[in-house]
Amino acid sequence: MADNSKHASCGGCRGKCKETMKSGIAANNPVLTQAIGVCSVLAVTTKLENSLVMGIAVIVTTSLSCLFMSLLRTITPPRIRMIVEIAIIAVFVICFDQILKAVYWDMSKQLGPYVGLIITNCIVMGRLEAFALQNPPLLSFVDGLSNGIGYALILAVVGFVRELLGSGTLFGVAVLPASVYQTNLLFVLAPGAFFTMGLLIWIINALKPKTAEASH
Amino acid sequence: MKADQRTLLFAAVFGTICAVILTAVGRLTAPYRAVNEKAEELRNYLAALGVPLEADASPAALIGAFEKNVKVTTNGTSVLYAYIPQGRTEPVSLAVPLAGMGLWGPVKGVLALEPDETTILGLRFYQQEETPGLSGEIGSAWFTSKFKGKKIESSDGRAGFRIVKPGTQTDENSVDGITGATMTSDRIQAILSQAAQQLVSERRKRHGR
Repeated sequence: MADNSKHASCGGCRGKCKETMKSGIAANNPVLTQAIGVCSVLAVTTKLENSLVMGIAVIVTTSLSCLFMSLLRTITPPRIRMIVEIAIIAVFVICFDQILKAVYWDMSKQLGPYVGLIITNCIVMGRLEAFALQNPPLLSFVDGLSNGIGYALILAVVGFVRELLGSGTLFGVAVLPASVYQTNLLFVLAPGAFFTMGLLIWIINALKPKTAEASH
Repeated sequence: MKADQRTLLFAAVFGTICAVILTAVGRLTAPYRAVNEKAEELRNYLAALGVPLEADASPAALIGAFEKNVKVTTNGTSVLYAYIPQGRTEPVSLAVPLAGMGLWGPVKGVLALEPDETTILGLRFYQQEETPGLSGEIGSAWFTSKFKGKKIESSDGRAGFRIVKPGTQTDENSVDGITGATMTSDRIQAILSQAAQQLVSERRKRHGR
């Protein structure tokens, strides 16, 4: 594939980085627009704190694996490229999991198996296949970063809504007093995540300028 | 042929590098993880037994408190932990380890009893991989505190424990489960019942009935 930014002027490169950065967070948000990586959105967003740590884990994994895949893209034999992708992702995820267990034990207990399951998160694999294999390292890193942030933002919003409505707390601190607000189990359970996400996609699409829709 | 060799070589080198990185990180974090795991286990044993503890006690303080207050003996085939405060000769509480399979992975916990070996004093789960925020709540105080004061034997003398559907009338031998976590509740019930049967049969052996 054409290595555009290498030949472009520095300003052009920066412009492209900016564009890539925007794309993953807004126009091409992995969860809202592409509806991928939804599994973990449903699973870990019962509490805001869990959502944030999970979001950080995915940002780190996507950006670093995009960077390394892009560095290796010219020497990786095409026939085993998917295995290589998975191996790169797995290395980062396992490292993150081990470090979490060493320094942030309580959170690691809360997240349980979901950190390990980032390996199978389609956002990471999807970005490697669709972007990092055809683009230079820095741009791929930005792409991974932006998709990770896009994912983390949705996670944080869903976590915020679910913890507030489901348990009446934020970061474990009671916000809505039990005397005023009857906690809603629906938001703690998986359907709560579906509703929250559905509403979120609806609101975002409604707010989107019509021109963006027409250009598709 | 050339391409095949290149592929093999690449896979071998790449695989080795990945393995080295993982081993290094695993080795570096191992001592910290081991300390965290051990401290977690001890904290749960001490808390279940009712040993007074500071909330943020360091791993070293936990080990000290454990060695000073807890006597480890055997009860038939299982281990029995007895809390004997200083200046006392009789234990004020007893604890047995709980272990078994949950829905997603192994569950480990501790069951503490009054000296009568029948009444539950406390229950703790310190290792589990159940769904966070749902069945993962088996580790939370609101769930485990329901067990306090319950008996591991039904009124007609059968050893075991039941976790029933939320909303059902509970008796001294059962508690409400967690809504939406039936599979985990069933497994916890099995783990508890197994421990209860073991405890009751050992007690009967010792005391003749």
